[in-house]
Amino acid sequence: MPDVKGVLLPAYVLADESGSMGPYRRELSDGLLSLCEALRAEPMIAAKLRLAVLGFSEDVQVRLAIADMRTETTVPQVIIRGVTNYGAVFNDLLYRIPADVQWLRGQGYKVHRPVVFFLSDGQPTDGNGWRTTHATLVDRAQTPAAPNIISCGIGDAKPATMIDVATSEQFAFVARPGVNIGAAISEFFAALVSSLVESGQALNSANPTLVINRPDQFTMAIDEV
Amino acid sequence: MAPKQISSRGAALSAAAWERMTVQPPSMPFEPGPPKQSAYDVLDTECEGWSTDRFTMRAASVRGDSHRWPRRSKPRQDCGRATVYERTGTLVFAVADGVSGAVHSEYGSREACRTAVETLVEQLARGGEIDLAATVQNAVGRLVELAQWRLGRQPEEAPTLKEVSDLFATTLVTGIVQPTQDGDCFVDLCRVGDSGAWVLDRSRAPYDAELYTPLFATKTGAGKKFVSNRVAALPQLPAELERVQTQLAERETLLIGTDGFGDPLGDGDGEFGAMFAEQLHTPPAPLWFAHVLDFSRETFDDDRTLLAVWPLRGQR
Repeated sequence: MPDVKGVLLPAYVLADESGSMGPYRRELSDGLLSLCEALRAEPMIAAKLRLAVLGFSEDVQVRLAIADMRTETTVPQVIIRGVTNYGAVFNDLLYRIPADVQWLRGQGYKVHRPVVFFLSDGQPTDGNGWRTTHATLVDRAQTPAAPNIISCGIGDAKPATMIDVATSEQFAFVARPGVNIGAAISEFFAALVSSLVESGQALNSANPTLVINRPDQFTMAIDEV
Repeated sequence: MAPKQISSRGAALSAAAWERMTVQPPSMPFEPGPPKQSAYDVLDTECEGWSTDRFTMRAASVRGDSHRWPRRSKPRQDCGRATVYERTGTLVFAVADGVSGAVHSEYGSREACRTAVETLVEQLARGGEIDLAATVQNAVGRLVELAQWRLGRQPEEAPTLKEVSDLFATTLVTGIVQPTQDGDCFVDLCRVGDSGAWVLDRSRAPYDAELYTPLFATKTGAGKKFVSNRVAALPQLPAELERVQTQLAERETLLIGTDGFGDPLGDGDGEFGAMFAEQLHTPPAPLWFAHVLDFSRETFDDDRTLLAVWPLRGQR
C-alpha cells in the first residue's frame, strides 16, 4: 500500500457574480489575483492546500477547478451575470465537494474537512429554496465530506442570512453599514489569504482547527430578534 | 595528531551522503531562518545515543521545515529526553510536542519532559510500581509553576488552565523500559495528546502491512475518513489516561515519536515505513539517526522527535 502523500485542506471560494456586483468587478478580480499570488509566494503552505474558485449567480460556473496553486498559472476571471441563486451554490457543492475529496484520496492524499468561503452582496433570489440543499450539504451524517462554511455578506446581504449560510455563528460576517463595498471585497480577500496561510501553518501540527480571521470593515453577523 | 587529509572528491562524496533523505515527493530546499531571538538555546536539532548491557537507545529531535521557513521561523517545539535509573538499568523516557498555538511551547515541551523523567526516576528509587498518572500530574504542576512565574503572579493567584495552556501547552508520552530477569524488556508508558508509540518488528520484510504495531490509536491510519488535528494537551488531562504495558522481544524496536514522525508513517506499510525499517534495522550512529529523522517529504513539515530502543539479550 502506498504512503499517504500528504494531508490536504480543500478550500472553495464562492464569489457572487450577480448583476449587482457589476460595479465591483475590478475588486473581485484583483482579490482573486492577490489570492493566487499570495499562495504562490507561500509554496510550503500552498503545498497543503487545494483551491477552487467558483462564480455563482443563477448557476455556478467553475473559474478554477480544484488546483495546486504552486503550479497553477491561470488567474480565475469573474463574469458578472444574472441573479443570486443560493440553491445553485449548495446544490453544486453537494456534488462537487465529495467528488473532489474522492479524487484527492485517489491521488494518495488524506484530506482535512473542506472549507468554503462564501461572499455575497445580496439576499437569495430563490427565497428559502436553498435551505434544504444547504442542510443536506452541512449534515455530516448525510454528507461525510460536509464542509465548514464561512460566509461574508456585503451590500444587501442580511446578517440573519449569513448566519444561516455559515456552519457556525463565529464564521458569519457582514460588512459594517455604510462601508465602501469595493473596499470590503478587498478586505474579504485579505482575510481569506491570512486565514488560509494560518490554517496551512496549523495543518500537520499539534495545533487544532481552522483559523478564520475576520475581515477588516466586517463585523461578526448578529441576528436580529 | 595531524588532521586527517580528505581529498576534494572524498569531501564531495561525504557531503552527498549527508543530503536529506527523501521520500517522494520531496519538500523544496531552502536555507532555514533563525528561531525567535529569545530561543537561542533551543537548537535546531538534538540527538543522543548510548547503550547499556540490556538495550541500545537512540533519540533525536529535529525542527520541521514549517518552523525553519525564513518568513515565519520559530524554534523547535518538540522535545525528547531519556536517562537510565542506574540501580536497575531501567530506561526512563519522555517525548513531547509543544502545541503551536501556545506562546512558549518550546519550553512547555522541555519542562514536561524533564519533570516526567525526574518524577519517574524518583518513583523507581522508592521501589514498587511506577505511577504514571502522578507523573503526568507533576508535569502539569511544573507548567502551572512556570506560568505563575511568567505571569508574575503571587503564590495565592494560581493561573487558570487556559492561561497555562496559552503559554505552555504540550503533548506528552512518557514511561519506562525495564529489563526483566528472564531477559525480556517490559515497557510501561502513557500519553496525553496525539504523540505516539509503535513497535517495529525488524524480522518482517519492508512494505509488510504489520511492520509497525501502534501502541496507541493513530490519526492518519487506514480507515480515517477525515484527518483532525484537534489534540488534547497538557495542562488539560483526559478523563482516563491512555496507558499501555507490553513486552519487547529481541527482534523488536520500540519507537516513541511525535506526530511529525507518526503522520507520515501512517500505517507504516509504505515507502516511508520501509525506509525507517531499513535504517533502524540495527542502531545507527546518533548523528545518522537524526539525519534520517530530518527526512524531506512534501507537506510533512512539522517538528519531529523519535526515540528508539533496541533490546539486547544475552549480554548480561
